[in-house]
Amino acid sequence: MTAFENKANNGATHLSGYQIMWMLVTFDLPVETKKQRKAATKFREFLLDIGFEMSQLSNYLRYCNGKEQFESYVRQIEQALPEWGDIYIFQFTDRQYENIVRFSDQARKKRRKNPKQLALF
Amino acid sequence: MDRIVDISTDGLYLSVYRGFLVISSEDGELGRIALDDIGGLIVHAHGVTWSNQVFVRLAERNVPVVLCAPNHAPVSVVWPLEGHHIQGARLRAQLAASKILQKRIWQKVIVAKIRLQGKVLHANGKEGGGFWTLARKVRSGDPDNIEAQAARRYWKQLFGPDFARDQDAGGVNALLNYGYTVLRAIVSRAVCAAGLHPTMGIFHSNRANTFALADDLMEIYRPLVDQLVLNLLAGGVDEVTPEAKHALTSIATFDLESGPGLSPLSVQVSRLVHSVVTSFETGKATLELPALPSPLELSSLGRLVEEDDAP
Repeated sequence: MTAFENKANNGATHLSGYQIMWMLVTFDLPVETKKQRKAATKFREFLLDIGFEMSQLSNYLRYCNGKEQFESYVRQIEQALPEWGDIYIFQFTDRQYENIVRFSDQARKKRRKNPKQLALF
Repeated sequence: MDRIVDISTDGLYLSVYRGFLVISSEDGELGRIALDDIGGLIVHAHGVTWSNQVFVRLAERNVPVVLCAPNHAPVSVVWPLEGHHIQGARLRAQLAASKILQKRIWQKVIVAKIRLQGKVLHANGKEGGGFWTLARKVRSGDPDNIEAQAARRYWKQLFGPDFARDQDAGGVNALLNYGYTVLRAIVSRAVCAAGLHPTMGIFHSNRANTFALADDLMEIYRPLVDQLVLNLLAGGVDEVTPEAKHALTSIATFDLESGPGLSPLSVQVSRLVHSVVTSFETGKATLELPALPSPLELSSLGRLVEEDDAP
């Protein structure tokens, strides 16, 4: 591979050159008492505030543009942990994200699309 | 990834929900984008309504909101008052910058721009050699207005003898307007995030222009937009279509080489702005400029994947 091919400007690899990664936060928080429910809601809302989108109940997804940003989000989450419950943080590459297989009502859904540089409305 | 959000459909409503900018129409929500990921918000649709929160929350993140006329030329930028934690000190350094220093910085900006113009001409098989000589002639503060001399030759060569740069015209000019708007948003954000005041330009200050510093510094990168527009024209796109917009916003991720290595334009711009801050503070004009891209890289500008990228 030449130096040029390595570069992200090269047509199709335009964005993947930036090592976009995805992080998935899944959690299992107890909601038995009022206090626990409140803590769980607060944590969920915190994830929304820092730009995580709910992909399913208790599954929140966000892309980040590299390892550093991933670490930064992990630290932010660590600061905001609820008092009880389990939280897992997964990370996967853009490539793996593209290959997510998704079924919905017995039908296979089209694969997810990566976010684009331009959001046009 | 700094995402550029472009609002060009009429009658949309923009609001904020938790960490997201929410775009809705009468039929309900169209989409949401994490506020932290937005690099610039460009609005040129009529009848768009806002919640005040949109401006407040974007300002907190130094995201410029660019309001455009129908010709894609920006008419206003909503600018945060406070962009940096030591903004006061930086502002003072900026205000205290001597005329000599400002002229030196302007000289470097213009030299870089003219060289890149030459490079773009060369990459497109035009006579660009003279631009190196022109660049050498630029003196501190560009008193001979070499910039204008270069521009006269540049436009004619690039888009033909009949071409005139016109803010209000359509076609090529509208494409250029749109590209510059994206570039202006990127540079504006960097200027603001570095705690500098956008109105206090180094050269454009003598023009009636509120965003003088951003306009000064974006000069360096303008020829990249020109090249991108050329590539679009070569691909048969001569209007500001959604496809063209996608290509034009990709300018933010165009990789450029500089001292610390290869990084996308938006990062390069931040570096440049920081070097301007350092120049103000030390009194020495040392700008961190990107290396000139090769013809091959220039011709790849804006070439995105098709099937996936259709809006």
